[in-house]
Amino acid sequence: MRRLEELFNRYKDPYSDMILAEGVSVLCSDLQVEPQDIVTLVLSWHMNAATACEFSKEEFFGGLQALGIDSIGKLQEKLAFMRSELKDEQKFYEIYNFAFGWAKEKGQKSFALDTAIGMWQLLFAEREWPLVNHWCDFLQDRHNKTISKDTWAQLLEFARTVNPLLSNYDAEGAWPYLIDEFVEYLYDKSVVDK
Amino acid sequence: MSSRQNPEPMTIEEGCKLIDAAVTKLTRIIEGKPEPPFASHEYIGNYTIVYNMCIQKPPYDLSGQLYEKYGAIFQDYDKDTILPSIMEKHDEYMLRELSRWSDINKIMVRWLSHFFYYLDRYYIARSGNSSLTVVGMTCFRDHVYEKVHFNVKQVVIALIHKEREGQQIDRALLKNVLDLFVQNGMGNMERYEKDFEDFFLTETNSYYSRKASRWIQEDSCPEYMIKAEESLKKEKERVSHYLHSDTEPKLLKNVQTNLLVLVAKQLLEKENSGCSALLRDDKTDDLSRMYRLYHEIPEGLEPVAVAFRLHVTAEGNSLIKQAEDAATSGIVEEQVLVRKIIDLHDKYMAYVTDCFQNHTLFHKALKEAFEIFCNKKVAGSSSAEMLATFCDNLFKKAANDKSNDDSTIESTIDNVVKLLDYISDKDLFAEFYRKKLARRLLFGRFSDDHERSILTKLKGQFGGQFTSKMEGMVTDMQLGKDQQTGFEEYFKNTNTGKPKGVDFTVTVLTTGFWPSYKTSDLNLPLEMVNCIESFKAHYEIKTKHRRLMWIYSLGNCNLTGRFDAKPIELIVSTYQAAVLCAFNNTERLTYQELIDQLNLGHEDLVRVLHSLSCAKYKFLKKEPASKTISKTDSFEFNSKFTDKMRRIKVPLPPVDDRKKVVEDVDKDRRYAIDASLVRIMKSRKVLPHQQLVSECVEQLSRMFKPDIKMIKKRIEDLISRDYLERDTENPSTFKYVA
Repeated sequence: MRRLEELFNRYKDPYSDMILAEGVSVLCSDLQVEPQDIVTLVLSWHMNAATACEFSKEEFFGGLQALGIDSIGKLQEKLAFMRSELKDEQKFYEIYNFAFGWAKEKGQKSFALDTAIGMWQLLFAEREWPLVNHWCDFLQDRHNKTISKDTWAQLLEFARTVNPLLSNYDAEGAWPYLIDEFVEYLYDKSVVDK
Repeated sequence: MSSRQNPEPMTIEEGCKLIDAAVTKLTRIIEGKPEPPFASHEYIGNYTIVYNMCIQKPPYDLSGQLYEKYGAIFQDYDKDTILPSIMEKHDEYMLRELSRWSDINKIMVRWLSHFFYYLDRYYIARSGNSSLTVVGMTCFRDHVYEKVHFNVKQVVIALIHKEREGQQIDRALLKNVLDLFVQNGMGNMERYEKDFEDFFLTETNSYYSRKASRWIQEDSCPEYMIKAEESLKKEKERVSHYLHSDTEPKLLKNVQTNLLVLVAKQLLEKENSGCSALLRDDKTDDLSRMYRLYHEIPEGLEPVAVAFRLHVTAEGNSLIKQAEDAATSGIVEEQVLVRKIIDLHDKYMAYVTDCFQNHTLFHKALKEAFEIFCNKKVAGSSSAEMLATFCDNLFKKAANDKSNDDSTIESTIDNVVKLLDYISDKDLFAEFYRKKLARRLLFGRFSDDHERSILTKLKGQFGGQFTSKMEGMVTDMQLGKDQQTGFEEYFKNTNTGKPKGVDFTVTVLTTGFWPSYKTSDLNLPLEMVNCIESFKAHYEIKTKHRRLMWIYSLGNCNLTGRFDAKPIELIVSTYQAAVLCAFNNTERLTYQELIDQLNLGHEDLVRVLHSLSCAKYKFLKKEPASKTISKTDSFEFNSKFTDKMRRIKVPLPPVDDRKKVVEDVDKDRRYAIDASLVRIMKSRKVLPHQQLVSECVEQLSRMFKPDIKMIKKRIEDLISRDYLERDTENPSTFKYVA
């Protein structure tokens, strides 16, 4: 318990009981990872952190205790394990959906497009989806607006269940409008044959 | 009767000798050979022989043997006499022989069963054997009928074929023979069916199959149908003359299948004479015949209804195309087109009610056909807009031309309501109609009766919600008259503010009923401002809690233009009047000065100036005198203007509303879709996507056909507003979030 206190104090912001952006970068350098490294997302997930680049005391303590960690060294050792969690189908699903609430702006209901694209690139680096680049191109080309929670969640469903040739895509199905548009885009650009 | 008291019992041999003698006599009589009839003592004697032998004491009670003798008599007669006689003959002669011998047999059965009657009374009752009659008939069946029926059937069928080919045959004979088939079934129809009817139907089948192939090649559709009708009639007659009534349904079905069902497509689609041609050329008799023939057949009318629908659709589509081609510079002649569609509807509805006996299948076909082409756009105009414009022109004309017959207007209104039923975007029609109604009402070009009449009919067909706003508008006009009287009273009594020589009428519109108009901060000439203020004062006295919003763009004004030659009364819109009045104080004004003075928007000012300086009547002189208004122009009162008329109306062309109307309707649709989705989910709680979409479409279909993409978007919007959520197990099912 004491060690966690010490750890927390190392990173916390001088004016509040939270670890903020500065503290997070110190933490990252201590762990010898880049701040954009996806492992920070996994860590945040374990902590059930509300927002990116911020950890409250409860979140920090809760997460590390759950992982059974009380020092930087132990945390560093756990990193490999945390990376592997992304390969687990169920955990990836949870982490992916967690990412929406975590990465979006506080107080906003939906994801800014750039943030969303960045997150998608990051996440699908861990779990391959052949259409991810087309998806991001499409969004920048045709959409230019924010991403809703429903679209975010359904996109994973799409990546999981529909094959890249779209042979099992059901146009009459309950896919969000944006995904239907994406399929049209793929046909238009002859990425896939109808 | 007395029984002979013979000490010696008679033996069977003795008895049979006596019986055989009687039988011989009998057969001679019934075969028509010369033979004196039985005397009554002989008759009684024969009976008594049998009787005595039956009552003899055993071992001389000969009932059983007598019974067998009885059977043997018939067997021998059948085998030795009847059958050979029949087999000797052919064709019709064979039939006659059979008929004759059958009758003879019946008589023999009757006579012999009288002779042997005592057996019937006691022996047969006790032993449970078949009665004498049955024995006699069964023998005939087994020893005559069974042997000849095959050949007889061949002959009968050959005769029927002859009759079908037009020759006369002996119908009574056939009736007798076929009755025999029935009788020999001994209580059921099996013999008739298996030994005759089955073969007959097979033969009929090939006969009509051949006929159909030939006729369909050679004849036109009407000719073919006449032949088919004739054939069916003849076959029905055949049944009544000699076939058993059970055969009728099977026979007719057979003929119908061959002549009508199997060739339906070829028949109906015959070029130049098929269904399409008949409809086109008004051949009501032939069409009625077609209906009659196919009506009898289960599901037989379906191909006819399909042909009907295709034809009507083609006719409608060609009208649309004609209108499209004729639409020069994007202007559609909707008066012409709508009239033509109405006429088309009347024409084909007449067919449905007359030739097709009001059958639902044809009503449905007509509806489907109209729904296809009535929803096509012509030169960018939707059918909803065209119909609204049609009504607008109709009512404007009717208001001006009082000579118009009210009943024609009424029947046109009825037609409009019918056509509206086929149009899927009814809400779009309502919006266009409302906009045009507003202009009609405000510019005084309407007849209260006509306007109310169509609204009543629309309400009846589509519900009160559809017409409530429009009814409110018409009522406002009614109330406006009363209000105006009150306003004038007010002036008489208070004498405030109203400048001398200015007559002022105000129409108060209830917001919400009327289309929304933008207000403008137009700076009115002083005279008008005074009028406005005095009305405001009057209105405030009447009602405290209402706010008046002035829509100057809808007003009009009568001005007197004091031109050099002569004064002319100008009837213009308020905007135009404001611009003209600006020249009361100054000879010359630039565009910029006008903008500043009047506070009108550029678009509006350009329109107004154009109508006053570049159009037909140039009340203002423009410098430079080009055809369009530019911001650097300047204007001067054209005192030299004159015209032979003393009153001139200067219309201000209305701004094209279409885009705005479509936008407004789209917005309303989004709300309607949201409301419908929430309503459905609230009651169903959980629903898969497909069903939600289809129920939503169903609910809204009374007013419009919702775009599936729009529904999807609304669903997503409702998800983000937390009205709905996806089921976690199955993301294509939605749950209502309480």
